[in-house]
Amino acid sequence: MSGALARERPTTAIVIFALLLTAPFWLPYVGGYDALATRVLVFGLAAMGFNMLLGFTGVMSFGHAAYFGLGAYGAGLMLRYVTSSTMLAVVSGTLLGGLAGSLFGTLIVRRRGVYFAMVTIAFGQICYYIAYSWNSFTGGFDGLRGFSRQPIDLGFTSIDIQGNGTAFYYFVLLIFALAAAAMGLILRSPFGRTLLAIRENERRARFLGIPIERHIWMSFSISCFFTALAGALYALLNNFADPLGLHYTLSGEIVIMTVMGGMRAFWGPLIGAAVFVVLEDTISSMTVNWMSFVGIIFILVVLFFPRGLLGMLKRRDAA
Amino acid sequence: MFQVVLYNVTNGLIIGTFYVLMALGLSLILNLSNVINFAHGNFLALGGYIAYVLSPHLGYWGALLVAPVVTAAFGFAVERLMIRRVYNRDPVYSLLLTFGLAFVMQDLMRYVWGSNGLPLGLPPALAQPLSAALFFITYYRIFMVVFVAIAITGLFAFLRYSRVGVRIRAGTLDLDTVAALGVNVGVLRSFNFALGCLLAGLSGVLAAGQIGLNPNMGDDLLMPSFIAIIVGGVGSLTGTLVGGLVIGLAAALTTAVYPAASEAVIYVIMALVLLIRPRGLMGEEGMMS
Amino acid sequence: MSFLEIRNVTKKFGSLVAVSGVSVTVAPGELRAVIGPNGAGKTTFFNMISGFFPPTSGDILLNGEFITRLPVPDRVARGMARTFQITEIFPELSVRENVRIAVEVAEGMSRHFWCGAAARARVDARVNEIVTQSELMPQAGRLVGELSHGDQRAAEIAMALSLKPKLLLLDEPTAGMGEQETHQVAGLIRRLHRNSGYTIMLVEHDMRVVFNLADRITVLDQGRMLADGTPAEIAANATVQAAYLGNAE
Repeated sequence: MSGALARERPTTAIVIFALLLTAPFWLPYVGGYDALATRVLVFGLAAMGFNMLLGFTGVMSFGHAAYFGLGAYGAGLMLRYVTSSTMLAVVSGTLLGGLAGSLFGTLIVRRRGVYFAMVTIAFGQICYYIAYSWNSFTGGFDGLRGFSRQPIDLGFTSIDIQGNGTAFYYFVLLIFALAAAAMGLILRSPFGRTLLAIRENERRARFLGIPIERHIWMSFSISCFFTALAGALYALLNNFADPLGLHYTLSGEIVIMTVMGGMRAFWGPLIGAAVFVVLEDTISSMTVNWMSFVGIIFILVVLFFPRGLLGMLKRRDAA
Repeated sequence: MFQVVLYNVTNGLIIGTFYVLMALGLSLILNLSNVINFAHGNFLALGGYIAYVLSPHLGYWGALLVAPVVTAAFGFAVERLMIRRVYNRDPVYSLLLTFGLAFVMQDLMRYVWGSNGLPLGLPPALAQPLSAALFFITYYRIFMVVFVAIAITGLFAFLRYSRVGVRIRAGTLDLDTVAALGVNVGVLRSFNFALGCLLAGLSGVLAAGQIGLNPNMGDDLLMPSFIAIIVGGVGSLTGTLVGGLVIGLAAALTTAVYPAASEAVIYVIMALVLLIRPRGLMGEEGMMS
Repeated sequence: MSFLEIRNVTKKFGSLVAVSGVSVTVAPGELRAVIGPNGAGKTTFFNMISGFFPPTSGDILLNGEFITRLPVPDRVARGMARTFQITEIFPELSVRENVRIAVEVAEGMSRHFWCGAAARARVDARVNEIVTQSELMPQAGRLVGELSHGDQRAAEIAMALSLKPKLLLLDEPTAGMGEQETHQVAGLIRRLHRNSGYTIMLVEHDMRVVFNLADRITVLDQGRMLADGTPAEIAANATVQAAYLGNAE
């Protein structure tokens, strides 16, 4: 009724949240652990944020690691140098990555296709370069250490998310759920539908009177904020911010998670992130040649499963 | 002091010529097929390793000439088998494909030749320094710059005067029209991809003589090559040449004064171009937008 | 009194003169057709009116206001909506969603992140009204990309109607269609004109469509205006016949 998302069955969301809420209980039986599940949530959030742009606006960024990494450094630097408030650190990281994206976005919204992708990659590499050159402040090549996530102070009690991995998982899950709800609402709003219009047919959208560049910029910025939020959570997860978190290799991984799960499906990127994170974890523990396997995943997805996992399910539904 | 400056400048110049050669290959493929070849740096490394394998049999000079051709043949096969399948799809797929290919190629080269550096032997004459005072400049460095200059001149002459070259240039402007004229666009694109890989392979052989071989040797050149294309203007091969020379020289001159900033200056140039002249130095308005 | 007035417009692309000194006035409620052989400059002429590019010289007035160099969104805001020779729609969205996007944009909601119940009811009502008016109710829930040519065109016109246009610009509305679909689309245009009173300007190739529909016809040939009159006058015009027969294959 209200937008293409209405074709998403609500049962998908129910199943996903049922699995996520109970994950700490069933994971050990299948060889998983809390930190792995938290990684899935973090990359799922990053990829879902990214997919606002790729899947729902039809614009191809290949540099989203920049905003992810800036989110991580923003949170890490805050905890290391300024505050002991975990929430403040998350907010700072999100703002750093999001605002950097918004600013950079103004320069590039007129570009399209592969050119847009190239410029976003190059911008990401600038951030990467700064992070590893500015040794004294960011820890350079070795990454930023010397900070750790602090207990969440709720006034009447405080929650230990540092020593207790399960508590941290639920902390991340709460933020993930709020962010996913926000993204869902944005995509179902009239503004969200203008993004679909731009994806479907830019010329038509322009002649309806939609200011294309402005809306692409807004979509790009929103997407950067969500990806930066994921990055901030990633820094908390590892108590570490890594310059490789800004590198274009990670951008590529965010893209493949999104495509593998299904870029036209709201939950696709989360599914893709789950598959990718678990596969990477398994393969890298089995062989030193895991890069080949990751590369082969890329190639196979592109050549044989371009619609992604959820995309194929949907297709079967329609048939 | 003077020697240090001169040393840095020649280093910068040589790196600049590699930027240009890499960027031209990338640009050829980008312009005709709308594909960003993330694996370009790996084709470079492959060229170097092939030369390493061939040189005991063919000698250095034989390897220098044959290795790029073998690299190109490999590129041709890759294009036929994989890349060709994604031309008519969303650009995200070609990016992911070459990205995955880069991973696989790098890992396989590591598997076959090891992750430690290997040397590529040079003919003794080339390995000599120019003189005792200029001990840090070998004949090989001069030879590289001259050889690259000849190769680039040859490329532009090929594109201007040969039948295939003219078709490639025409296809860059309007592929549909070229197809309508009866040109087999599929073959043209495969050939063009191979040509790009030929340039990468050539860079690899030359680079191997200077810095030796390792599986990641092309990685550091990929990003500057992107930037050379952006600075020069997407869609213009001349622009790429100019862009590569500009950032190469800028990096060289910065290295002479303050080596640590040589990479930063490239990014600063890109940022300035994006701010002041978003379509690039020689790019045409409306291209790619 | 004229609603759309084109004064002596010329468009050059380099040394090529695509349109040369054409003047046309369209009265409110009129259905005007622009015809001409291939290469007559019809599309260029049309693109200048809709704001794809400005004329090299000359002026365009809508409702007495100069709009010669106004960008597209500002023209849309002043009541101009267009369709394209190749149907421009949102293929992977349903008819209803296509229309809804257009309605929301017309209602000034394109930057709203939230849609209240009252606004939603208003939008729903308007979407229904337009889907009915463009005779697409039976297909409302289907993806536009899966519809027939004729229905896709109707959906495109529906989107244009959502903008509450005062002037509807249709670029070859029956291009590439078979007998039956041409009939369907021509019928829709006629009913929109007669029953709903839209002012319409269309460029058309198919002569039968034009002579049956239009109040007045403008004939272009090689960038110049050859004739301007009622269908009967045009049919009787010797110059027009010569141009058409001379150019016919």
